[in-house]
Amino acid sequence: MHLERWQQIPSGTRDLLPDETARVREVVGGILGRVRRWGYREVTTPTLEYLDVLVRGEGSAAGDSLFKLVDRGGELLALRPEITTPVARLVATRLRGTALPLRLAYAGQVFRWREAGSARLREFPQVGCELIGAGTLEADAEIVTMAVEALQATGVGQFSISLGHVGFLRGLLAGLDLPEPELEDVRALLYQKDFVGLRRLLETQRAAPSHVRALLALPTLQGPSALEEAGRLADAPEVRAVVQDLAALQRMLRASGAWDAVTVDLSIIRDFDYYTGIVFEGHTPTLGVPLLGGGRYDRLLERFGVSWPATGFAVRVERVLSAEEGAVDAWAPDAVVAFENGSREAALACARALRAHDLTVAVEVQGRAWDVVAREAIARGVERALLVRGQAVVVRERDGREHTVALADLVGPAGEETTS
Amino acid sequence: MSMVTIAIPSGRLLEGAMATLEAGGYLAAGAWRDTRRLILPGVDGTIRCLIAKPVDLLTYVEHGAADLGIAGKDTLLEQACDVYELVDLGFGFCRGILAFPQDAAETWERKSPLRIATKYPRVTERYFWSRGHSVDIITMHGAVELAPQVGLADGIMDLVMTGRTLAENHLVEVAELFQATARLVVNRVSLRSRADAVAAVVERLRAAVRQRTAAPSA
Repeated sequence: MHLERWQQIPSGTRDLLPDETARVREVVGGILGRVRRWGYREVTTPTLEYLDVLVRGEGSAAGDSLFKLVDRGGELLALRPEITTPVARLVATRLRGTALPLRLAYAGQVFRWREAGSARLREFPQVGCELIGAGTLEADAEIVTMAVEALQATGVGQFSISLGHVGFLRGLLAGLDLPEPELEDVRALLYQKDFVGLRRLLETQRAAPSHVRALLALPTLQGPSALEEAGRLADAPEVRAVVQDLAALQRMLRASGAWDAVTVDLSIIRDFDYYTGIVFEGHTPTLGVPLLGGGRYDRLLERFGVSWPATGFAVRVERVLSAEEGAVDAWAPDAVVAFENGSREAALACARALRAHDLTVAVEVQGRAWDVVAREAIARGVERALLVRGQAVVVRERDGREHTVALADLVGPAGEETTS
Repeated sequence: MSMVTIAIPSGRLLEGAMATLEAGGYLAAGAWRDTRRLILPGVDGTIRCLIAKPVDLLTYVEHGAADLGIAGKDTLLEQACDVYELVDLGFGFCRGILAFPQDAAETWERKSPLRIATKYPRVTERYFWSRGHSVDIITMHGAVELAPQVGLADGIMDLVMTGRTLAENHLVEVAELFQATARLVVNRVSLRSRADAVAAVVERLRAAVRQRTAAPSA
């Protein structure tokens, strides 16, 4: 089938129908509502930023995956690919004089350039939190606990948070005792998760054997024994410090009620130029990609002129939705209201009164016959169909039975409320 | 519930991949030969195999439709997918090379931009970029060695095993871009959410490979 351009949307973008939009709002609202109780307040930043701001935050390599635009004056703009950098900019400028720590949340669409056909979205919703101005383990425990609660709030079934620490990899890399060019190769191979290439490279170098063993064992350093195993494999000061930090976090997460959903996982590899401490990802067995990612990034704000530590996470809302199993319940309004000739204004007043009682009400706007309206409404799941006829209202129930009530009985209470 | 899915590439690596799974005790010897099914159950009920086109293989693993996969390093280099590459399975050795017709084999470096036909546009582009040589890539899906003969390209970047195809088409290798073998790859979430089941497969296949390379070749 040939589709004309006007029938299509750009590759990697999506239209959301009412049911889907409602779920997105529910998930976003659920997360924001949950973190609000922790004192996190939502901020909004523009969808467009200066390219310079985004590159300053994420490094020049990020420029390759941005949608760019040229402003009238020739300034380069880009659509934000994530919201942490814009929040960092906001914090370092307009919130500079504010008392720390700052607890901020955000929700919005982000954009990443992807090759067409990669089945990856180029625009998707993110919701996240940042805790700025506290470099403590308590701050990390708060963020990880909120990540767990955020996923609970979304209603996604089974999930777990894998918690690692970039200090572990940093320590291992530093302890390898390799010159910088080779170290750069090691980092590149780690990013590519190419453990075959890593093994080959390390075998040809004279690197410290215990650190080599620990690096190659990385994919298995997860689960209850990971910390012990890590300490055994690489007995270096940095590694000991990380193990201690994670053990302390574990105790705090037990107290905060999050530990059951958390697994220590030293194999988490996230950008270690950007992250400076804990790193974590949220997974669910039914989905091959992470639902959430985050960690400590103490150096980002430096790039914007303030040296505040920070920690945070972001949830991939569309992934949470695609991890859901089963169909959503069909939606229908609580009632539809039709009217006979001459009762139009009475019908509007009736609908208004019902809405004031928190019911969802749709008024017939196509002038169709009562029986058609009522049958169609009940077929798609509406609880009651109402026909306003002068001072009386015919109510048809789901089972087809009809009874008549006085319009005053329906409009009355709400009317009283508004007049009293 | 804990059944693990392994994606196997049809084509060049199929035979070796099946032999590896047989050596790991996951498939009965030769069981895959008599069937045209694209999903094969393993003998002990812990795994199932999904047979995919090589070019699609990493997509299955990256998106988690398969927990593990067997892929050529050439494909891994070209597609740069987000998967964990854990074991060199040792079979399917080949090399990615740059080749030109005999009469251009000495002079190709002086031509700019070069037109190169290949099934590996990104690897090729990276190679020339890193050397500051401008290049026009012509992406093809097969019979790459024909391109220089009919004037479609100056040279080719392709996989070679024996070099016979090159010789038959009067092409001369001028540079090697990579060496490739089959690799065992794992989805990043499976590695965590099904850690034990995935680790069991990885270790069994690693052991099978070790045994094969240790055994004297008959």
